[in-house]
Amino acid sequence: MPEAMIEFRDVSKRYGALVANDHLTLTIRRGELMTLLGPSGCGKTTALRCLTGYIRPDEGRIFIDGKDVTDVPTHQRELGMVFQNFALFPHLTVRDNVGFPLMIRNLPKDQRTTMTADALRLVRLEGYESHYPRQLSGGQQQRVGLARALVYRPKVLLLDEPLSNLDAKLREEMRFEIKELVTRLGITAVYVTHDQAEALALSDRVAIMNRGRLEQVGTPEEIYEQPQSRFVAEFIGLSNFLEGRIEVVDGATMRVTVGDLKLTVPALPQTGPGQRVLIFVRPNEIELLGPDEPAGENVLEAQVEKATYLGDTMDYRLAFGQGLALRVQGDAQRRVSPGAPVRLRLPRIRCWALPGG
Amino acid sequence: MRFARAYIRGLWDGRMILGYTLLLSLTVFIVVPFLMIALRSVGKGWFGRLWLPPQLTLDWYRWAVEVGNIPEVMKNTLIIGIIATAISTVIGIFAGWAFGRRQMPGKEVAMAIVLLPRMIPPITYALGVAKTFYTLELVDTYLGVALAHVSVCAPYAILVLSATFEGLDERVLEAADVCGANTLKRFFYVVLPLIMPGILASMIFTFTHSYNEFTLTLLTYGPHTVTLPVRTYLAVGDGYWEITSAMAVIMVIPSLVILAMIQRRAEPEKLVGGFKGV
Repeated sequence: MPEAMIEFRDVSKRYGALVANDHLTLTIRRGELMTLLGPSGCGKTTALRCLTGYIRPDEGRIFIDGKDVTDVPTHQRELGMVFQNFALFPHLTVRDNVGFPLMIRNLPKDQRTTMTADALRLVRLEGYESHYPRQLSGGQQQRVGLARALVYRPKVLLLDEPLSNLDAKLREEMRFEIKELVTRLGITAVYVTHDQAEALALSDRVAIMNRGRLEQVGTPEEIYEQPQSRFVAEFIGLSNFLEGRIEVVDGATMRVTVGDLKLTVPALPQTGPGQRVLIFVRPNEIELLGPDEPAGENVLEAQVEKATYLGDTMDYRLAFGQGLALRVQGDAQRRVSPGAPVRLRLPRIRCWALPGG
Repeated sequence: MRFARAYIRGLWDGRMILGYTLLLSLTVFIVVPFLMIALRSVGKGWFGRLWLPPQLTLDWYRWAVEVGNIPEVMKNTLIIGIIATAISTVIGIFAGWAFGRRQMPGKEVAMAIVLLPRMIPPITYALGVAKTFYTLELVDTYLGVALAHVSVCAPYAILVLSATFEGLDERVLEAADVCGANTLKRFFYVVLPLIMPGILASMIFTFTHSYNEFTLTLLTYGPHTVTLPVRTYLAVGDGYWEITSAMAVIMVIPSLVILAMIQRRAEPEKLVGGFKGV
């Protein structure tokens, strides 16, 4: 059995001048949950629709389970899909909705009954067999959608923003339920979303897309801690960027000049002195120190410009150096008021250098 | 507070007055004439200023059937109605699909043109229709009269079916595909059940309209294609009010049957083609 379940090979799709997928090459492993994450219009939905066969790519091939499916029509691809707006059949009961893929495949009646009941048990919707979709809540409708997608045990489960029509609390609940279900069934799943928290919580791996291209593919930790581009860093979580120039590279670290300040950060491979770099650090990784703290590595003097109370944290805007500013989040129990002088430390291992400037 | 309450009560009374006025107009303008016709169709020797007919009879119905040739006329009306409905529904399905599912330039203008026959008085173009049909030898044929009816029935069908197709959720169709349905199965198991209420609604509208159509029939009918409204109108000209009333009552019966069908079978919320998702 090949390890790759789904392969995009150099897939491109254009709409006039708009490039929705630009030479997309991506491998999704058997049994993993891969999230396609990006802002709206980044091409993630186009990629998913290429996978379902609803859109035919202009160039490139798509493989599912080792088989080239680029020219296979949607109904022969043996997929399961969960839709953002649920897309249940409004004229059918829950039982018939879930049994629809089995009915289409002409399975014998008793087998259909057992498989439908199994799928409904899987999503904890026993007792709702005779309801119509409109009689169910959003969460229940999405469970029906999930059961319908899983009922005939497809090789691949596709989820197109399945939680964005649900309210926040339910969304979080369903997130874990989907994750648990996919892991238990060992099914390969492709999850499309624009919600970074969802992507980080659910995925085995995340593929971040921007303007039809892949920005980075990696585990949630890699994406969050080691972004490969400014776009990824900005898209996931909060971030600060400082533009600088490499002064010295010393093994695993390098010294970077930012304005009239010097910072020590982990080295960036294949770079040398004189090159421009971007230093990236998350607001909650920066340590806020008292004004009398002794100087040290990456310790800067700054002044509080703005302080906002966010409940569990305080959100500061700190000015330092020559016209530079950082966003810092600190403990709400230890507040610093605007105008106060502070010191702050950018821990070396929490800084991350990106090429360019 | 007291003023506010008085004000609200005043509004409430206003609503009651409005309600009763409407109810009264309904009675005066619909129920009373209808009762008069019904009474007249069974009354004998009902002249002068009597409130009720002195004698009841079913003779006028016998006359209507025998002299007025009502069975033949009813048959014509139904055949023309069925042809007009069939043609309008087919046009409606295709045009409705295009209007409801496709993006195209000038869609609003096209829709306005489609609706034109509904907006202008039929008599203005009925003359032109009549002239053309004489040339085409369509006058006094079932097809001819039905085609004339289509000019006002088809817009109804197109309007209703456009809304039906618009209400059809693209994602639901996609879901059917992903579930393994090919085009044929998707049509029979998903599309057809979802647009069926719309088709039924459109058929009821168009049939009723053709059944009631007068102006366009008057200019295209002939001895073999007399319809009920025209027959009733002609009977008025003959001066036999009792027979005319009997015909009018006969004419109303199918309309009432259809109304009962609508009430029973097609719930209003289903008429536009089902549930739209969220």
